[in-house]
Amino acid sequence: MEERRVGSLRFRIDFSQPIYEQIVQQFQSSVVKGEIERGAKIPSVRELAQALHVTPNTVMHAYQEMERSGLTETRRGQGTFITSSQEQIEQLRSKLAAVAVREFLQKMNDLGYSGQEIFRLIQDEERDESL
Amino acid sequence: MTPALHHETTFAVECRQVSKRYGQSQALHNLSLSLPQGCSIGILGPNGSGKSTLFRLLMGLTQPDSGHLAVLGRKPSWQTNRHIAYLPDRARWYGGDTVRDAFRYAERLLPGFSRDVALNLADIMEIPLGMKVAGMSRGQEARLMIMVCVARDVPLMILDEPFSGIDLLSRERIIECLIHQMSRREVTMLVSTHELHEAEPLFDHAVFLNRGELLLSGNADDLRAQHGSLERMMRSLYT
Repeated sequence: MEERRVGSLRFRIDFSQPIYEQIVQQFQSSVVKGEIERGAKIPSVRELAQALHVTPNTVMHAYQEMERSGLTETRRGQGTFITSSQEQIEQLRSKLAAVAVREFLQKMNDLGYSGQEIFRLIQDEERDESL
Repeated sequence: MTPALHHETTFAVECRQVSKRYGQSQALHNLSLSLPQGCSIGILGPNGSGKSTLFRLLMGLTQPDSGHLAVLGRKPSWQTNRHIAYLPDRARWYGGDTVRDAFRYAERLLPGFSRDVALNLADIMEIPLGMKVAGMSRGQEARLMIMVCVARDVPLMILDEPFSGIDLLSRERIIECLIHQMSRREVTMLVSTHELHEAEPLFDHAVFLNRGELLLSGNADDLRAQHGSLERMMRSLYT
């Protein structure tokens, strides 16, 4: 897995997962972290395909997915832009948080921890960090 | 290029129960395949799995013993071939030519060849125009052969083992060149290889062949979601 830079964006592509999904996920996380601003223009399909060394169809698939979910909007003749709606981005942040929590709980359940124990472990961890 | 040819068909390539035998060896056995237009397709499998035979059938260089096949919606023939840029396995160019000579020749003889596109590619591929073919490394000559194909404005490219026996740098340059062309215009690419490595992200669709039979065919990202990387699939399918 190697890292590729496109302007200020950084991508890591892992060939064992669908490539278009990783492009979507990496845009999502860059937007939520504020690495890409609201309303910012993103690279064209062609630019991103060439920079990431993936096919234009793969990038197109990712861009369609991002538009469908409301993360981006296409302005005819101008290109593709990150949504300018703060609300959309907040929704995405909550959605990603929910996924992260679900994955975490699943892992803890697999390790045999119950709700109460998990809660206590989080509190212990937070206390340790603040020391 | 005739635009009509492009719109009449939904599949770039269709095979129905195609079989081909060379003497004792069954090169293709009951192969049925439909390959979508406008995407890049990896034809994957070890040596002897029937990849080159499939390409030769599509180019009309040999005839099937049974079954039907269509390329760009038509029966393979020399008339259809003007719409196809074909790179045979282990293709070579005349040793006495320079790159410039090769482009001049291609411009006269290959339908749809654009010298401007070729010159641009030579720049990307880092091949000096005055260089003689006889003085080229294997990788450099392979890059020249690819350029001559890719610089043609045709709806279908068929590249037989373009990466085999070539150094890493040349492979990467070739992959860049192919992605560059795919993002410039709509084209269907069939690329055979027996080793994936850095060619993995080059394919939208993958076809796995073994001993002349179809093992599996599908959208590359769908296959990754189910089985992991194409390279990993190759290792598990053929061992």
